[in-house]
Amino acid sequence: MEFKVRSYRFNPEIDDKPYYKEYIVQDFPGMTVLNALMKIKAETDGTLSFRRSCRSAICGSCAMKINGISKLACKTQVSSEIEKFGMIKSNPLFNMPVVRDLIVDQEIFFDKIKKIKPYLLGQRDNEEYHRFHVLREGEKIAQPVYHKSEFQNLTGNDDAPNCILCECCYSECGGVVGNKNYLGPAALAKLYRYSEDPRDNDKNGSRLVNGSQPEGIWDCIHCQACEEFCPKGISPVKAITKLHEKAIKNSITFSKGAKHIISIAKSIGETGRLDEVKVAADTGGIAGLINDLPMAFGAGLKGKIPPIRLKLIKDMDDIRLAYKELDLEEK
Amino acid sequence: MISYVYYPGCVAQESGKELDNATKFVAKKLDINLIPMPEASCCGGGVIDGFDENLKLFINGRTLALAEKTGFDILTVCNTCTLTLSEVNEELINNKGLLDKTNEYLAKIGLRYEGRVKIKHILYAIRDDIGFDNLKKKIANSLRGVSIAPFYGCHILRPSSVVKFDDVENPQGFEELIGALGGEPLSYVRRTKCCGFQTILINETTSTSLAGNAILEAQEKKADVMVTPCPLCHLSLDTYQTVAAKSINKKLSLPIMHLPQLIGVALGGSYAEMGFSRHNISLRPVMAKIKQNRF
Repeated sequence: MEFKVRSYRFNPEIDDKPYYKEYIVQDFPGMTVLNALMKIKAETDGTLSFRRSCRSAICGSCAMKINGISKLACKTQVSSEIEKFGMIKSNPLFNMPVVRDLIVDQEIFFDKIKKIKPYLLGQRDNEEYHRFHVLREGEKIAQPVYHKSEFQNLTGNDDAPNCILCECCYSECGGVVGNKNYLGPAALAKLYRYSEDPRDNDKNGSRLVNGSQPEGIWDCIHCQACEEFCPKGISPVKAITKLHEKAIKNSITFSKGAKHIISIAKSIGETGRLDEVKVAADTGGIAGLINDLPMAFGAGLKGKIPPIRLKLIKDMDDIRLAYKELDLEEK
Repeated sequence: MISYVYYPGCVAQESGKELDNATKFVAKKLDINLIPMPEASCCGGGVIDGFDENLKLFINGRTLALAEKTGFDILTVCNTCTLTLSEVNEELINNKGLLDKTNEYLAKIGLRYEGRVKIKHILYAIRDDIGFDNLKKKIANSLRGVSIAPFYGCHILRPSSVVKFDDVENPQGFEELIGALGGEPLSYVRRTKCCGFQTILINETTSTSLAGNAILEAQEKKADVMVTPCPLCHLSLDTYQTVAAKSINKKLSLPIMHLPQLIGVALGGSYAEMGFSRHNISLRPVMAKIKQNRF
């Protein structure tokens, strides 16, 4: 079968603006999008530029937009794309500047990974002893080493350590689209991975405090795109939700995001419903209310006002019991 | 007549009452029996697991158990309610430990959940249970020549391991429904992107810029109206549209309908019956266009 590849092209050194170039490719059984691009590069157009390395979905180099969705080219079958879209349209990843053709500048992404301190924190008690040295006869490694399954049981980190830093989640993240400074799903999933590591010695909870700053864990918009499009089956949004729960359980609640969720939980505990007015007031405080006043006034004029006092749901005692059973009444 | 347990969610009972009214109008026209569930609680707005994971299981497990007692599936009109109930349903069906734990709580309030309930959003309930052919028979107002931008939102599509209604990469259910109603579905990139609602009270600029850019794209492609299956998206797109315009520094004026309102209009619903006066952006231009088509 012959099929069409329509690829984004841009060489800032010679092109005024980006354009698309089309190639006709002859497939072979099991052909991946990366195979197709490599065939074009070898046989038709040596100037087409893209990153690639392992061809086995483990190095994360060949991530790109394929028919509008961030994927690993080496893991994407041509046949399934042709069946659905009739052609292969390749674009560079989103949320990062283009260096050339399908290659993006990853610096901003890795700066954010560095920002969450992707290493074990804290000093160990006997630093001299732990310094690298050849093991003596009968001596065991002092640093605890966990088998992968053991690590998962200890931390609940089912998937976050499997991240290959391919940037598919970052490219699809709506939070980054809205705010380029938002740390994004990969960095925050890594923050969770380290915050749960039993070897991490983060005595003063700095990971959760720093993570709760603006552009951190509370800026996730819950669009679920990171989970949906991760080629390794990781769910950064679930890791972020676990960080939310951990922050609130450790009383790190200075951020608007924490106040928002606490207010929702409180509202359900009191009425069984989400009280739109109260949640808005608790989250934004007086400044938030003043900011929202023109919008609320406009909506009010149209009759779009939520009730000031909500009617309790029927059998409200059932919900109260849930809070009691889970020991959440005081929170 | 087909019956569902009706789960309108909080917004449709509070600031978005027009959605509840339009849904009931559509149900009546399509012979759908909506069984009320006054005991049902809020699903937790898609964020309650950030407060306590088990609370999400307990309150939604209770809603599922209440529905199961009636013997009917749940009908939703909100993406986030759909996802949250579906997530809990999947967890309870696939994890016996969690099901036992939830049932321990449910036993104390005289309930038990067996995992037999399905959650259906009205968009896909009409496609799968009512059928487009039956829908077409009831059309009273033609949407011919009306360019309609479907805005799916997130939680009706993603994660596709939980909400399995449509092809997450290239969904067509919404377009098919608009086509069945006689309208012209507009194709635009941001139809499956996020409206930003979940952070609207936390980071308004980030949030409203997402909604603003989606509206702008549809507006530039000459949409007459944008339609959403989610009342949270509706708040972002309509109620906050003036704020969104400021966020992206563009002029925006695109009317936004709830999905049941669009169906309601096609089935003969009037401006007043659909509660259009409650919207921020006027629906009069698009309603005038539809009126010209009147059979």
